[in-house]
Amino acid sequence: MAMRQTPLTCSGHTRPVVDLAFSGITPYGYFLISACKDGKPMLRQGDTGDWIGTFLGHKGAVWGATLNNEATKAATAAADFTAKVWDAVTGDEVLTLAHKHIVKSVNFTQDSSCLLTGGNDKIIRIYDLNKPEAEPQEITGHTSAIKKALWCNNDTQILSAADDKTVRLWDRNSTEVVKQLSFDMSVSSMEYIPDGEVLVITYGKTIAFYNALSLDMIKTVDAPASIHSASLHPDKDFFVAGGDDFKLYKFDYGTKEELESYKGHFGPVHCVRFSPDGELYASGSEDGTLRLWQTAVGKTYGLWKCVLPEMVVLLEGSPISTEELWSSVRVTIGLLVASLTKVLLP
Amino acid sequence: MSTLVTVLRLPRGPDPNGRGFDPNSTRFVALCPTTISASTETWTDSVEVGEEQRARSALRESFLRTLIAMTNKQVQFHMYERVEVEAKFGASDIDVLNFQVSELQTPIGVQKEALLRAKHRKMLLMTVYDADDPPIELPTDD
Repeated sequence: MAMRQTPLTCSGHTRPVVDLAFSGITPYGYFLISACKDGKPMLRQGDTGDWIGTFLGHKGAVWGATLNNEATKAATAAADFTAKVWDAVTGDEVLTLAHKHIVKSVNFTQDSSCLLTGGNDKIIRIYDLNKPEAEPQEITGHTSAIKKALWCNNDTQILSAADDKTVRLWDRNSTEVVKQLSFDMSVSSMEYIPDGEVLVITYGKTIAFYNALSLDMIKTVDAPASIHSASLHPDKDFFVAGGDDFKLYKFDYGTKEELESYKGHFGPVHCVRFSPDGELYASGSEDGTLRLWQTAVGKTYGLWKCVLPEMVVLLEGSPISTEELWSSVRVTIGLLVASLTKVLLP
Repeated sequence: MSTLVTVLRLPRGPDPNGRGFDPNSTRFVALCPTTISASTETWTDSVEVGEEQRARSALRESFLRTLIAMTNKQVQFHMYERVEVEAKFGASDIDVLNFQVSELQTPIGVQKEALLRAKHRKMLLMTVYDADDPPIELPTDD
């Protein structure tokens, strides 16, 4: 039975949020960057959603954003034909990498020494951040705009998804295609999980899981609506997905069963990602907001605090029979008990 | 039974007046280069900055050791208007703004304990010497 969930709404963006990424876990917690069509990507504290800063400099919609593991650097891809690298501590722009068309995707290597970019010019580029003035290595082959390009297999290979309805695996050194997947429709999103080498791909209403090394399919799951993005929990027990119907869906990865669905956004969900500790997941929507959702609803974490009612009132044999009404009655009683407890106990 | 989850507060939104990245946050203070500008042009050259930091640390350490070594030694302060006073050096405060001294020999008498302000001087010279050894004349700036 579904628990009601109170997401944390992060406001600030004025246009649709199209991409988001978490950093790794750092001594200062973990961080979240959001890409927005308003051209102003924002950095937030990952567990609370508190705004830390806005990266100012792009002159067009920002389509992709990423952080390095330590959250010391950020990279963004924009419609102004540039990818930018930022100092994620000071917010200063460090590097601008000019491209010949809209840039859609950016990704750091594990050691943050190289940046991968991909976009509408159909070329994957590798920039050495220690030698930024040097010409990037180019990987050609895609016949349509690249949506996402990610490092994989310990940064020795590259996975790319494009509007040509293919996902390709490339060798970094030879720049040759190692393997290719073809679909009937464009892939809407791609997520790579290094631990376990899992690739999560979404297209149409399907969320598909592949082995990232062999590109062998592990399983596919169909959702009730067209899905724009999905994310697998670090422990690989759940995955979440969101899309056209504005809802967030939570599925059991093992059984493929739909466990919960949550309403909250006022527009299609464009991106969803689990936090590095798996305690929450963030979603970005056409409505211009980011929402943080608890993985285990009812747990005290971040800004969520679990309140245990002192007593529970059961409404056995009640004429109220619908799930919605039952849980709203329970919520009302719980709130009453919590406020009475506060007043009566010192 | 079911638990209730409340939200302590809403996530903080952007500051309308600035772009954020609070320089007083723990992370900024810990990860950013020192406020004293490095002599290297670009801070991204982490090797050079690292070497400079090591040099700064070494100099700071020897400065602090000097202060420790001066404790309880006879010290001569050269102040403005060609005033020179002797005292027994006690300690300096953390920002080297004040010196604590004992037996301060002033033109108007001996102060048992005194605090000398260091910052309000254009230049402060101190000569440290053992009571048995006379001080070497240092060139003074007039």
